[in-house]
Amino acid sequence: MWLFIVRSLQASTIFTFAGLGELIDQRSGVLNVGIEGVMLFGATLGFITAQSTGSYALGFLVGIVTGGLLGLLHGFFSITLGVDQVVSGMGIWILGFGLTTYIGNPYTGPLGMERIPTILGLSPFFYVGIALVIVTWFVLSKTSLGLRIRSVGENPSVAEVSGISVTKTRYLCAITGGMLMGLSGAIYSLDYNPVWNYNFLMGWGFIALALVFFSMWNPFILLAGSLLFGILWQLSLNPQLVLPGVLSRYIWRTVPFIITIAVLLLMATKWFRTRWGAARPEALGTPYLKE
Amino acid sequence: MRIGSYGLNLEKRLTLAGWEAAVISILAIVFALVLFSIIFILAGLNPLFAYKETFSYAFANPYGLPLTINRFIFLLLCTYAFIIPYRAGLWNIGMAGQLYAGALGAFAVLFAFGVKGFNTLDLSPGILITLMMIAAALSGAVLGAIAGFLKGKFNLNEIVVTMMLNFITFWLVSFMIKEGGPFMNPGGRGESFELPPSVYAPLIMDVPITILLALGVAALLYLMFAKTKIGYQIRAYGQNPAAAEYAGISTFKIPLLVFIMGGALAGLAGYHYFAAVPGVYKIARNYGYFGDLSFYGIICGLISQGNPLAAIPVALLFGGLSIGGRFVQGKLNMSFGVDYALLGVLMITLVAFQFFYRYKIVWVRTEEERLGEEMLDVAVHR
Repeated sequence: MWLFIVRSLQASTIFTFAGLGELIDQRSGVLNVGIEGVMLFGATLGFITAQSTGSYALGFLVGIVTGGLLGLLHGFFSITLGVDQVVSGMGIWILGFGLTTYIGNPYTGPLGMERIPTILGLSPFFYVGIALVIVTWFVLSKTSLGLRIRSVGENPSVAEVSGISVTKTRYLCAITGGMLMGLSGAIYSLDYNPVWNYNFLMGWGFIALALVFFSMWNPFILLAGSLLFGILWQLSLNPQLVLPGVLSRYIWRTVPFIITIAVLLLMATKWFRTRWGAARPEALGTPYLKE
Repeated sequence: MRIGSYGLNLEKRLTLAGWEAAVISILAIVFALVLFSIIFILAGLNPLFAYKETFSYAFANPYGLPLTINRFIFLLLCTYAFIIPYRAGLWNIGMAGQLYAGALGAFAVLFAFGVKGFNTLDLSPGILITLMMIAAALSGAVLGAIAGFLKGKFNLNEIVVTMMLNFITFWLVSFMIKEGGPFMNPGGRGESFELPPSVYAPLIMDVPITILLALGVAALLYLMFAKTKIGYQIRAYGQNPAAAEYAGISTFKIPLLVFIMGGALAGLAGYHYFAAVPGVYKIARNYGYFGDLSFYGIICGLISQGNPLAAIPVALLFGGLSIGGRFVQGKLNMSFGVDYALLGVLMITLVAFQFFYRYKIVWVRTEEERLGEEMLDVAVHR
């Protein structure tokens, strides 16, 4: 049971990092539906680097840099070229899914390095994740930088008039968000489950995307959502821990996805919207082009 | 940017003629193939040689060509499954799940008639084959309808929903064909039971009958978008849902309808690969590969700009490329996943080229040059 909790918390860490990246992105009005692609890239290149150099630090660094570069690419497409943000995000996902299958294939198999030491039984990234949630909340709601980001996400033309560079702010968020997603992928492939296999994420990135919608763009709710889905995910992998022998293990694998749809549905009901409201950034998904 | 007395300027396109879109699309494909040669070069191959091998296997080889045609039928159906919602401004990335559902539906018909246990059938094969196709289309349509309903009624993000449905159906297929599932092969190899030869889809010159279906759908879709009221409503909704609603177009029916149509076609794509392609006739262990391939449908749909007729040559080309890519990978000892890498490179190139559908680059004379000429003009006229 203790092991189950530990694994759940570590799974939640991956959702937290990826979700925070997307949350920062979206707060500035940039929607990146390609989280899974960025994560696959960060995970694969981080894995290859760590395995060939024997250094975890380099592996994580490469994961972060790769993520940042993909964030930059998404920014270039959607901010500078004004390409539809969904098209660009889908492009990044399919690029990641396609290219990492080819690049990573020779490295299929376990990482073969000593596991990362734990702190009080948990991966150090778990604590980093919680700290990052607090920092993100603080920056977004208490600092002038956060005000800048939020105003760019709510109403870019007004922000521009009041002297904020929409382009710069959005690039900053797209790159930072990408770095967090890339790191999240590297945490998966180097710490959570250090085995490379083709298209191993199987939906982590898309659930992280849904989590951002659940969170109503609040980092603390995002953290809670990550914990819930971390537990759910582990449960779907090891149903015998709780309900031994009930239903096939394949049916259990569908549970996190069904619950994702159910939660989205709950949030879309009139009851929920009038009770809790939604803080959706007004300009989310719309490119801002100076005419 | 300036070169001599000329400059390059960006101009927003007000209209995009059909031939302009075609030129941009062809340029995008050529650019992607040039970009992809980097992968061949990194693998120590001459890209020209590798492409020659790819194309000659895909389009001029007695073993390769039938594979290409079968892949083409599959991709065309997946492309249409993407295009119909795309014309309404919605993203169906659930072709993978819808085609798994279609395959399950087709096999469920046989299962219901007791094919798994013994090979005697009560119904004539013709009726059974028709029933299988209908069941495949219906199952795909039901899965599509879930996404369409949730979009139309509750405005749920269709990308997240269709993707979740992909994973749900993926695991459902595993449940059905593995570890004692109802459709498991008696031999227990993690595959479904095999079709009895009497219900193999009829072949026309070694090509499954599904090709007629795919081409027929092409014509129907073209007519639907060009001539019918519903086609017009879909396009109007796609351009501006709010304005469409104001004009009396139901914002509930349109998403539901386009996802039902798209899902049905993806379901047929599932029928095609698992019950009509010679040499398969079962839900194979690597069924996930066909789900992955369905994402080529997104690229075909985007490159053909949602035009059902333009999608035909594009799907044929990509069908050939994915078959040929697999072949060179084996023949030239490349790492697994050449067709996946191609998918990625094509997609990202296409995203970059989206820019050119909206803007054009024009040569203009720079200000000084024009001023100089005007002065000359004035001088001459005096």
